[in-house]
Amino acid sequence: MAADPFARLADRQHALRTALRALQAAGPGSPDFPSLVAETDKEVTAVMEARRDVEAARLATPNRALAAATTTAALIVAVGWFDAWSLLSLLLATATAAAVLVDPTGRHLLEPRARTTAITAALIATVATPLAHGWATAITAAGIAWWAWRTLK
Amino acid sequence: MINIDPVKALDDKVERLKKDLKSLTARIDNTQTDAAQQQLSTTNQLRDTNRKLTKTNDRITELAESVHRLERLLVALNRKVRAGETQKADFDDWPEITKAEIAKILAGQDAYARKTFTQQEAKNTRKAIAEYDRAALIAIDAAEALTTLPPNAESLWRKKYDQWRTITRRTRPEAPDDNTHASDTVAKSAGNEAIAQARQKIRARIEDAVARDLLFPAWFENMLGPAAPPGKAGDWLYTATDVVLYRLLHDVTSPADALGSPPQEQGHRRTLHDRLVVECADYRRP
Repeated sequence: MAADPFARLADRQHALRTALRALQAAGPGSPDFPSLVAETDKEVTAVMEARRDVEAARLATPNRALAAATTTAALIVAVGWFDAWSLLSLLLATATAAAVLVDPTGRHLLEPRARTTAITAALIATVATPLAHGWATAITAAGIAWWAWRTLK
Repeated sequence: MINIDPVKALDDKVERLKKDLKSLTARIDNTQTDAAQQQLSTTNQLRDTNRKLTKTNDRITELAESVHRLERLLVALNRKVRAGETQKADFDDWPEITKAEIAKILAGQDAYARKTFTQQEAKNTRKAIAEYDRAALIAIDAAEALTTLPPNAESLWRKKYDQWRTITRRTRPEAPDDNTHASDTVAKSAGNEAIAQARQKIRARIEDAVARDLLFPAWFENMLGPAAPPGKAGDWLYTATDVVLYRLLHDVTSPADALGSPPQEQGHRRTLHDRLVVECADYRRP
């Protein structure tokens, strides 16, 4: 099996194509259709996982960078525009950034992109905190909700 | 002597009336005491009688129990005595009922148990199948698309993956087949014929055993009692035939338990088992 995630995705896609030929040849009425569907489902899952690995490889560094930027921005905002009510937004953004820093891609099929969304929302919220104060928390919360929705569905 | 003074005369009269009243009061008091005493003694007598009745009841219950014990002892004894010299009836081996016939009966029962489609149901099922097939084609197309998508087209990946998964969570309904219906009809009539023949053979052997006063197997007597209850011989024979047939069909070989362990799943066998248990309990009752 190829070590490069791109090559592996191509590999898996090829395997899925082979499984699909068998499935199409059998047709929905044939008696072994259910077992073929189960087999193809395994291949489809493998393809989805290979794609997730590609995405993870592509997004790990940007996610980390965004998380680091969010943490720095949160510190700067906390010191420069200090306000007790703003701290809520800054704390939540920092917590999100910490989670993404530790694990930038996650384990679920659609999680890398969802984490990017969440950390981008946290960065925007941090930057918006001097204007919106504590209300910027809503932006981070929306990002987290989006992340959860994509991951847990 | 007549008292001329009217006041004096009245006084006398009042005096006499007072005396009468006093004596009357005394008599009423006496009567009351008597009645109370009598009531007390009657209550005591009643209580005594009740106690005696309870004792008698207990005694009768004891007697009934011992009579029952004796009855069972007698049955067992009767069996032991007869076992010494009587020939035994064999209801366990049935060479004249072949495996093929048993298979036919079971196939017929299966055919009866199978669900028959009504016209409307068949139509609905066909519609569901067509819908499933359409969904399957869409899902296969979606999976096909997954083999060529570039890795960063996230929303397309998601959409196609969801389309694919519609089919993995569903199963194609069984097709309402007219052939199944026809073969079921054949299996049913063949099963009915085979069952009638088997019943005839079994009944003949049981009747023969009754006529020659053979000793029944232990499971038979446990289930159906030592003999047919008076006036119910026909029903008893019918149930006995069913019990033997049940053992034969479902391979029950226990020498003591006629019906074996009860079947867990619902179905023809379960219904028959429950029916036989109820009917046989009726025949065993004294």
